[in-house]
Amino acid sequence: MEKRKLFAGILVFGSLWGFSECIIGSMLRNAGLPAGAIMTGVFAFGLMVISRMFYKTGGMQFGMGLVAGALRLFNPFGGCHICSAIAIMAEGVIFEILWYKLSPDFEESDALLNKSSMGIVMSYCIYIVGYVVTQILTPVFSSADFHIENLIAFIPQILASGLLAAVIGGIMAPTIFLLNIIDITKVRNRLYYPATIGVSALCWWIVIANT
Amino acid sequence: MEKNKLNLILAIIVILVGIGSSVYVQATKIDSKHIIVNGKDYTIDQLFDISEEKTYETYSGIALDNLIVKTGVEDPEIHEFIIIGADGYQKTVKWENMSNGLLTKDGESIFSDLPKAFIVKDIVEIKVD
Repeated sequence: MEKRKLFAGILVFGSLWGFSECIIGSMLRNAGLPAGAIMTGVFAFGLMVISRMFYKTGGMQFGMGLVAGALRLFNPFGGCHICSAIAIMAEGVIFEILWYKLSPDFEESDALLNKSSMGIVMSYCIYIVGYVVTQILTPVFSSADFHIENLIAFIPQILASGLLAAVIGGIMAPTIFLLNIIDITKVRNRLYYPATIGVSALCWWIVIANT
Repeated sequence: MEKNKLNLILAIIVILVGIGSSVYVQATKIDSKHIIVNGKDYTIDQLFDISEEKTYETYSGIALDNLIVKTGVEDPEIHEFIIIGADGYQKTVKWENMSNGLLTKDGESIFSDLPKAFIVKDIVEIKVD
């Protein structure tokens, strides 16, 4: 994989992730829907798996987390921007670790169950890590200070709310793996670069225009 | 252990943890129309009767600092306050935060100087630490 092509991929998928966190996440919250679980299962996990399928390069999703987190800093909605940005970056890190440990063996005949299982575990863990990081950092960056007892008391609620993210991940993973046939290295440069840079610029423009 | 077997076992554990936690959360959820402030039981109407009204942006309610004073807490500035919701969500705040906070009629805490994560819904207790 050409490095320049990979960086363009990190930029576009990170921007799409950041855009979805800022714009779609706010819309879901305003609609009273469980935004955190939907955002993690569909967008964070979904985009990270899609990009991993397309580019097949380790470390890319951490880069996407950095881009998405940076874009989140511009978002006018929500409380602690820096906390959310760091939580997104942490989600990228946990994806890298879990993918290394859990990515399924595609040659197995019962691959659908394996992919679904991987989706359940990864989506759930990404959700829990993102949630806990936000719960720790928000008080740290405010004038109220962090108190561990507040986090411990809320752990059952966090573990319970992650169930929806797990179910979504279990459905998303086998669906996304169907895209495995697409080979990004075969996409022509004159189409690839304008498309990736154009989509990235559009995501950033929409988020910044909403501040 | 091979990855595929590990994935399946972990997925089952995740589902069980999620279901178990959901059951626990529902079982321990406090269904109360009262709020305990510093160990004393009040209805939301009683608290609204004794405390000063306050507004912040689109929110209106009673001032949390005034509520603490009116409920008889001495030297409030030396204490921290743990605000606990019916679902177990709790946040610890300082007196300076309480001075910028209000309690809405729906039993929600709103702080003008703290992020939205400090909104505790369906408050059932305010502990004085």
